[in-house]
Amino acid sequence: MTSYRLDERGLIDRHTKLPFTFDGKHMTGFSGDSLASALLANGQQLVGRSFKYHRPRGILTAGAAEPNALFTVGRGGRTEPNTRATMQELYRDLEAKSQNRWPSLEFDIGSLNSILSPFLSAGFYYKTFMWPSALWEKLYEPLIRRAAGLGTASYERDPDAYEKCWAHCDLLIIGAGPAGLAAALAAGRAKARVIVVDEHAAAGGTLLWETATIGGNLAADFVTQTLEELRSLRNVRVMTRATAFGSYDGNVFGVLERVQKHVPEPVSQKPVERIWRIATKVALLATGTEERPLVFGGNDVPGVMMATAMRAYLNRYGVAPGRRTAIFTTNDSGYVLARDLESAGVNLVAIIDSRAGSTFPYGGKARVLRGAVVTDARGGRLLSSIDVSFGRRSENLKVDSLAMTGGFSPIIHLACHRGGKPRWSDERSAFLAPETTRGIMLAGAADATDGLAGCLANGAARGAAIAQELGFRPFPFEPGIVEGDVPAAPARPLWSIPGVKGKAFVDFQNDVHRKDITLAVKEGYGHVEHAKRYTTNGMATDQGKLSNINAVGLLADARGVAPAAVGTTTFRPFYTPVSFGALTGAHTEGHFQPIRKSPLHEWAKKNGAVFVEAGLWYRSSWFPRRDEATWRQSVDREVRNVRANVGLCDVSMLGKIEICGKDAAEFLNRVYANAFLKLPVGKARYGLMLREDGMIYDDGTTSRLDDGRFFMTTTTAYAAGVMNHLEFCSQALWPELDVRLASVTDQWAQMAIAGPKSRTIVQKIVDEEISNGSFPFLGAKEVSLFGGQLRGRLFRISFSGELAYELAVPAGYGESVADALMEAGSEHGIQPYGVEALSVLRIEKGHVTHNEINGTVVPADLGMGKMVSATKQDFVGKAMVSREGLVSPDRLRLVGVKPVDPRASFRSGSHILTKGAAETLENDQGYVTSSAFSPHVGSTIGLALVRRGPERYGEEVVVWNGLSKEFTPARLCDPLFVDPENEKLHV
Amino acid sequence: MASLVPCPHCGMRPKEEFTIKGAAIARPGSHADANEWMDYVYLRNNPLGTYDEYWHHTSGCRRWLVVTRDTGTHEISASCDVTVAVKTGVAA
Amino acid sequence: MSEYRVTRRSALGSNALRSERICISALPEGHVIQVMGKEGGPDLGAFLSEKIGGGAKFAVRIAAPFQWYVVGDRALSPEETDTMLDTLHPHAAGVDQSHGRVRFQVEGAMVERLLAKGTGTDVSVEAFPVGHSTMTLIGHIAAHVTRVGEHAFEIMVLRGFAESLWDDCARMAQEFT
Repeated sequence: MTSYRLDERGLIDRHTKLPFTFDGKHMTGFSGDSLASALLANGQQLVGRSFKYHRPRGILTAGAAEPNALFTVGRGGRTEPNTRATMQELYRDLEAKSQNRWPSLEFDIGSLNSILSPFLSAGFYYKTFMWPSALWEKLYEPLIRRAAGLGTASYERDPDAYEKCWAHCDLLIIGAGPAGLAAALAAGRAKARVIVVDEHAAAGGTLLWETATIGGNLAADFVTQTLEELRSLRNVRVMTRATAFGSYDGNVFGVLERVQKHVPEPVSQKPVERIWRIATKVALLATGTEERPLVFGGNDVPGVMMATAMRAYLNRYGVAPGRRTAIFTTNDSGYVLARDLESAGVNLVAIIDSRAGSTFPYGGKARVLRGAVVTDARGGRLLSSIDVSFGRRSENLKVDSLAMTGGFSPIIHLACHRGGKPRWSDERSAFLAPETTRGIMLAGAADATDGLAGCLANGAARGAAIAQELGFRPFPFEPGIVEGDVPAAPARPLWSIPGVKGKAFVDFQNDVHRKDITLAVKEGYGHVEHAKRYTTNGMATDQGKLSNINAVGLLADARGVAPAAVGTTTFRPFYTPVSFGALTGAHTEGHFQPIRKSPLHEWAKKNGAVFVEAGLWYRSSWFPRRDEATWRQSVDREVRNVRANVGLCDVSMLGKIEICGKDAAEFLNRVYANAFLKLPVGKARYGLMLREDGMIYDDGTTSRLDDGRFFMTTTTAYAAGVMNHLEFCSQALWPELDVRLASVTDQWAQMAIAGPKSRTIVQKIVDEEISNGSFPFLGAKEVSLFGGQLRGRLFRISFSGELAYELAVPAGYGESVADALMEAGSEHGIQPYGVEALSVLRIEKGHVTHNEINGTVVPADLGMGKMVSATKQDFVGKAMVSREGLVSPDRLRLVGVKPVDPRASFRSGSHILTKGAAETLENDQGYVTSSAFSPHVGSTIGLALVRRGPERYGEEVVVWNGLSKEFTPARLCDPLFVDPENEKLHV
Repeated sequence: MASLVPCPHCGMRPKEEFTIKGAAIARPGSHADANEWMDYVYLRNNPLGTYDEYWHHTSGCRRWLVVTRDTGTHEISASCDVTVAVKTGVAA
Repeated sequence: MSEYRVTRRSALGSNALRSERICISALPEGHVIQVMGKEGGPDLGAFLSEKIGGGAKFAVRIAAPFQWYVVGDRALSPEETDTMLDTLHPHAAGVDQSHGRVRFQVEGAMVERLLAKGTGTDVSVEAFPVGHSTMTLIGHIAAHVTRVGEHAFEIMVLRGFAESLWDDCARMAQEFT
């Protein structure tokens, strides 16, 4: 317990105390604290156990790259594992738990792994869990799974809401540090639409802990003033707690906004997280830099921290790192920290500068060791001393805290997400953004600019230039003179530190140390992508933000090449982890997918329908009565009633398309396989639509209402597809035809009235005479209803084989008309029937649906070969439908099938075997496409596609269900099970 | 995740509003031989680089478009109504 | 059954959701005529506005290239609809969609924020001025959107999806109510 809160300093509100718990321990922080700064202020430096070796770990950073301080935050359904304490704002009563330790953080059994570490080197999994392979499923995989991963997700329901949202702008600025804010002001004043996003709770970036002044103002005051002006501009939006996680095609950026992750009790009206999809003309990455750790022994002992993080905790949060501090640096930035520590009264023991020739004019009290390195840090749960080596000498310094800085890498992830490769700069010893970034520019430190003044000027210039480029009048912005800044010029990188004894970590989160990297090279896995997989470097949730650059440097050293020759692994979204909740957004439960309701939905509901989801539709599947115990009883009754009396079924879900224009008939002639050119006005015709490969695409009836006006129905399932297809035909294939298409599916409520008594009932509401003579089978006409109150469309078509009508009325009147039909039919025994009964009725008549039209079937397979026009010059599918293979007599063709024993049954999908044949693929004769219990036949009946089917009526076969191992003796037959002469249709 | 597709009628729209049919190639005439039809129905080029495709603005203006897309970078260099494309010989 | 009185059920009833910053309200199921002009033909906007829109504000909206919707709050008799469709001849073909399309209005200070939760179309007033119309996806449902005021949009959707889209919009509005 050495870190502590200073009496003054920082941007925290010392009047607002926030109690919280860590592993059940009660602690207190201030408003403005991050969870990490609050823990440090409470002297809690041991915060977790490492992944593989279970080594004690402390807080390493103050930002998004944090690999160690990962906690489970919250409780119940709000439990969130792997929360980075550095990014989590403190709130009242926050509950945080450390992870990857058992039974406790202080004493952890898993740390025995450290002793086993010689066996846990790179490639450990590949080398160890090789054989016997039988052990994989039962032993190795469960073992690895238990050991892998940090934290545990909750099984409870997440009570919170999430959503997604779009935004559009001219300029998206990512990062609200000095360069980002300056760019925002320049572009914002020029009137461009600007969005600024920053992943932290407060905008400002490094300015929040900067001690230099800008135009005589404190840096933090400069931030306040700039934000005030930006917020006053209508065309500028500043979003904090918003992480740009990915860059996508079309210059769309994914941004995760943590709306309510910083409050004790989220309000239910607002989402806790929101994903923004921001479409921008130009994006400006003002993302700053990532500081590089130094790879010395024990660089993971709690108390060792990144230098910039130490400065941030000191200046922004008023937290001192310890009582005796040292700094290990490769560049001038270490001296800036030194000055700040000393001005805050922290005892700085030494500055260890790896550069022998450093001439920085440091005027402080600490010892400066030039040309020196830290070889090892010592200590268990807390740093106790460091071994420093300079020249031939070495010395052990007693310290309880150590800052390290190995230089800075521009944060260029978003510039590489669309495939660009970073390029190595020798001059800056860093990877920079790709040459071409398509709609993305960089500013400030991310753009390899040094120093505060440079970043402000660079940001302002970029903002103005982009605005001008987009056609806005630029508005100069002068940030003011910067005083007291120390620009840290890039220094020579220090990849391999000589004389290291202990474990020197490269990837803290995945416990990859320096020897793992050299081992990978030795064992032939020196390519950067191989080394990543072999060692798991960069594969943890931090995606190698701290580790990748050191791994590249060490690989380069081990291979004896330059980092440019090693290159980087591929940058992919997400920059930081995104919750599944946010990715799902608002599309959960009732909002998971749209619900499509028929205009007769309420009618069906009040008649007791049981609904079934059919695509997005809710269809009535049957209408149970009180005395019926099973659905089959209801369906059998409905089927019988249609054949004996009359039934009413909602068929509004059929696709309906109105086809107008002088060439409408010619158009239909080309999209259907059968002839439509001469269809008379007032008539309906069954049509078969093919695909270009000759297979049937869809079927339905089309009626001619007028010379140049047709009304097409499609199947429910293919309604949308057929409309798209027709539009393709009219726009892309035959634009010379005068044809116009309108989807009218929703305009009409459509009901089938089927059964021998249907005419009597329909006649009661239709004003015109509809006797068989005046309105025969396949008639189609507009009718007047209820003494002229309404107009509808009446079709004499039948899916059940009975005398039947389909009546379409404007949707809003559907329910009222259905009520009237029920009333009119009550004395004739009318009953509603659902899709289950509809399906039984059509199977009894051998009518096909998409069960049969399954994409492998041509008209001849269904006995409809004669329908295909031989005389039409062209129609979709004409060229291919008569290919050799599609006219072969050996094809699977439609037949009926019923069990030999009427008490036996079979299911759709079962296969047909010749009697006595073994159940092999070679013996397969076809399969059952539809099946149902037919109350009229008195047994299960089915439709099947069977090799040479129609030639085999009467043959006994076996229906084989391989899944449930059922063999049902059955007989092939004519698929017309009821009224084979179709006499009932024409009465 | 998200990407935007320019519609010549509606402007930039998210790709979720569109349906892709595939290569924008011309349908053979009614007298074409079997080989031509086999090519049209089954054979496709798979170039690395620009590719003309039929896209349908299904949840927008419902026009069929010819979109020229780079298969390597996903960048869209042109997008026009299919009737314009037919006239200028881009497709069909 | 000429004594039977046919009644009309509206898809959204007189639903309304009102608060200071956002308000969603069902519009009357009046008339919607889909007008389909000839491909490559003339812009019929002015003609439609004068001849069948009666010059009313926002009566004529662009539906797609060479297609328009003529929209009004008043329900038309079959004869009136016929007259309208006849007027179109021979310039265009018309289809009555008065029952197939359902309209509701979303208005208030937060209206752009609400719509941005559903549509990828830029609905800022610069990109989407008053009087502008377009078809776009709102969440998973395609809808026709017209800006009828600085802070007001009309949404027209297939009848079958009307309730579902209403529910989605109500959810999007939650944070502003």
